[in-house]
Amino acid sequence: MKQALMEVKKIKCGYESGFYIRDVSLNVYPGDFIGIIGPNGSGKSTLIRAISRILKPDRGRIFLKGNDIWEMDIKEVAKKVAVVSQNLEANNITVKEMVLLGRIPYFLPFQFLESSIDEKIAAEAIEIMGISKLKDKRLDEISGGERQLTHIARALAQKPEILLLDEPTSHLDIRHQISILDLMKRLSRDNGIAIVAVLHDLNLATEYCGRIVLMDKGKIYKSGSPEEVLDYKIIEEVYKTPVIVHKSPISGKPYVFPVTEEMWKRHVDRGIMMAIERKKGLK
Amino acid sequence: MNKKAKGWILWIVILLIMLLFVCLLSMFYGSVGIPINRLIEIILKGEKGGERIILFDLRLSRIILGIAFGGGLSLCGVILQGMFRNPLVEPYTLGISGGAALGVCIGIVLKLSKISGSYILPVSGFAGAVFVVIIIYALSIRKGKIKIQNLLLTGVMISFVCSSLVMLLMAISRSEDLHGIIFWTMGSLAVNDWLLVKISITISLTLLFISLFFTIDLNAISLGEEEAIHLGVNIERSKKALFFIVSILSGISVSVAGVIGFVGLIVPHIMRMIFGNDHRILLISSYIGGAIFLILCDTIARTIISPLELPVGVITGIFGGGLFIYALNRRKVSV
Amino acid sequence: MNKNIQFIFLFIILAFPPLGFSSETNIEKFPKRIISLGPQITEEIYLLRAEDKIVGNTIYCIHPEAAKKKEKVGDVVNINIEKIISLKPDMVLATGLTSPKYIGKLKALGLRVEIFYQPKSFDEICQDFIKLGSIIGREREATQIATLSKKRAEKIFSVTKKLNKKKVFVQIGIKPLFTVNKDSFINDFIEFAGGSNIAKTSLSGIYSYEAAVASDPEVIIIAPMGLDGKEEIKEWKKYSSIQAVRNGNIFAIDSYELCSPTPISFTETLKKIARLLHPEIKMEDLE
Repeated sequence: MKQALMEVKKIKCGYESGFYIRDVSLNVYPGDFIGIIGPNGSGKSTLIRAISRILKPDRGRIFLKGNDIWEMDIKEVAKKVAVVSQNLEANNITVKEMVLLGRIPYFLPFQFLESSIDEKIAAEAIEIMGISKLKDKRLDEISGGERQLTHIARALAQKPEILLLDEPTSHLDIRHQISILDLMKRLSRDNGIAIVAVLHDLNLATEYCGRIVLMDKGKIYKSGSPEEVLDYKIIEEVYKTPVIVHKSPISGKPYVFPVTEEMWKRHVDRGIMMAIERKKGLK
Repeated sequence: MNKKAKGWILWIVILLIMLLFVCLLSMFYGSVGIPINRLIEIILKGEKGGERIILFDLRLSRIILGIAFGGGLSLCGVILQGMFRNPLVEPYTLGISGGAALGVCIGIVLKLSKISGSYILPVSGFAGAVFVVIIIYALSIRKGKIKIQNLLLTGVMISFVCSSLVMLLMAISRSEDLHGIIFWTMGSLAVNDWLLVKISITISLTLLFISLFFTIDLNAISLGEEEAIHLGVNIERSKKALFFIVSILSGISVSVAGVIGFVGLIVPHIMRMIFGNDHRILLISSYIGGAIFLILCDTIARTIISPLELPVGVITGIFGGGLFIYALNRRKVSV
Repeated sequence: MNKNIQFIFLFIILAFPPLGFSSETNIEKFPKRIISLGPQITEEIYLLRAEDKIVGNTIYCIHPEAAKKKEKVGDVVNINIEKIISLKPDMVLATGLTSPKYIGKLKALGLRVEIFYQPKSFDEICQDFIKLGSIIGREREATQIATLSKKRAEKIFSVTKKLNKKKVFVQIGIKPLFTVNKDSFINDFIEFAGGSNIAKTSLSGIYSYEAAVASDPEVIIIAPMGLDGKEEIKEWKKYSSIQAVRNGNIFAIDSYELCSPTPISFTETLKKIARLLHPEIKMEDLE
């Protein structure tokens, strides 16, 4: 039985406005690739904020290898958990400088300059993400996809055990989506880093994530393997829209197909027709 | 030590040499010309008398204040721009100068200087600045955390309120007071008190030294406050310390020398154009750059229509603004 | 580490002892090189025929003509200390307008500084004049001139006090409307000339046109900003209910004459004002 990197125990956490996530528990193990999915406003980003030590839970506790993260020194947390947020701005520092920022948690109290070790680790991270050619370019000179790679490289420079990604691929084209997720998969498999990613695309989540956590209205609706979570009844209940779940002929993973208005009107396949009949009962 | 750091050190040395040059220039230039051979004579023979006073009392005190406040105001500007992630913020945006101006105006109108001499105005100015700082701070703290947005908005509002009150006082004051208030608000390094000069330079250099410990934090904050926390930076402690530094430094500069605008806006920008956004070099280069800039402007202010003296804020505005526009056109400015 | 910082701090504060002139200046009792920081002071020194002692004055010291040629050290509020020092004075005569920080500095540098505040009455004008005379070594001349001026003023008052007192408003500022209360020598101008200042008991100099309308002065005297007072007169014409406006008794007097008088020029201006208030007086009666 592996020791959990992070244990989230029944936390209640939220904002002054009244929105709260409640009764949320989660265990993260080395090598995990966990996808957090759910409708807008279900509390996914709030969960990320809670486990990255931004929002303090009113109830419940979060442990990193047995230590409560709110009792740990903030630098120690940063050495174990790295976060890539949504919508980071493009400013005018270079790729290399941005990645070097990831070494800040390792700076000694009066250290002013990066050590040669810092430089080496940053270079490695840049290499892993495949952006070595861009290292002297400024962030506002490169594409959105390349910026995302840079931010992930920065997070890697922190040498974390857990990497949190908040919608890392939502605004990218399919090529970048696949390449980034492939990279994340490789990191989790080869380096033992646990990846926790908020994903919008259910089908990407199904391919890459070993475990999926489905959130709804601030609570975990269902957590488990893609087969367990991506069941048509569950998806329809949470997302409130008819879908068809069908095994991918290539990978065997459950894919979620939307049911459009057109499809009501056309019968394409007997299987689909039967599904539509069932749905009619719903609508 | 890597290439980048070596480059920084070289630049700092260059800036220090420029500062020395500008200081010497300022010593010799003035409404009363004193040629270099006289200077050497005076030093070697230990002469006392008028010229020595001009050089080592009057001009030297202005040079030292130029360093203290030119450097200090630029430092405040660069720190605030980093904290707020906004290039238009300068020390006066937070309303601190408004509070100091109000304090001094009240002092002038109540004729406090007739009672307690020349210290009362800087003290009342500083009291005004501190008062404003406390209000802003109190209004921007929520659950022990500084809300940066509130800080900015509160500061701007208080700034407006203070300038309206100052205008009110100007409207009802006697003409001699009015003249005093107007000239004070235009800023001047002609502070004729060595104790104030010494206090100013000591505080300015001390706060520069302390601020250097927060350069890494500022680099992290430039990504965003949450991102800085993710990098392990204790941003509440940093914000409080930096707020304290900026308040004291700008409060003292406004109380002693009046309102000298633009220094905190222009110099950090130029430094950013040269060095980028790394606060490890930005803070100190802005300080030295600000000192050079203010001393130059002061020299111009006191020689151009001699024996009358222009307020130094006029020169910093025109010269600095023009310089900035020129630089903007030559190179793309981005933050 | 703490102790070292304290030491350095103390060192900086105590180092650089203030420089200054040596204090052997008490050998000569009367100054030989004077800096005048006020137009009134300059003119009075010329009256006392001690103008050779002036080595520097302000850009506003324009009476008499010769005063314009002296070295300039600044304006009435802000002065250039470097310039002053380079002129090697042994006495600086300042006014109430001179910014206190300069006065402090000049004294700290070891110079003798005497301040002459705005006189509140004709009597004070004369007292200050005699004081100036005694400082620069012309006490006898000063006393003579002051006594003569007092006699002249009394003569003029003896003529005017028999006549009907006219209600007068004196305007010395346009925006905001500024006048004088009893704490100014200008008040004496009005009273000696046979008038009463409607703003005599006012708390400060700020006045409103409405209050002026209510008091309804018979004569308005203006010390104009521009040369001829057209601006000010135009403003008054809006309040046609005032006697002075209706009867055209609005007069402009040279600002300098009204606001910076010496004992002699006071009596000259007084004669002018007396004749403005009471046109029936003949010049000869006032001599």
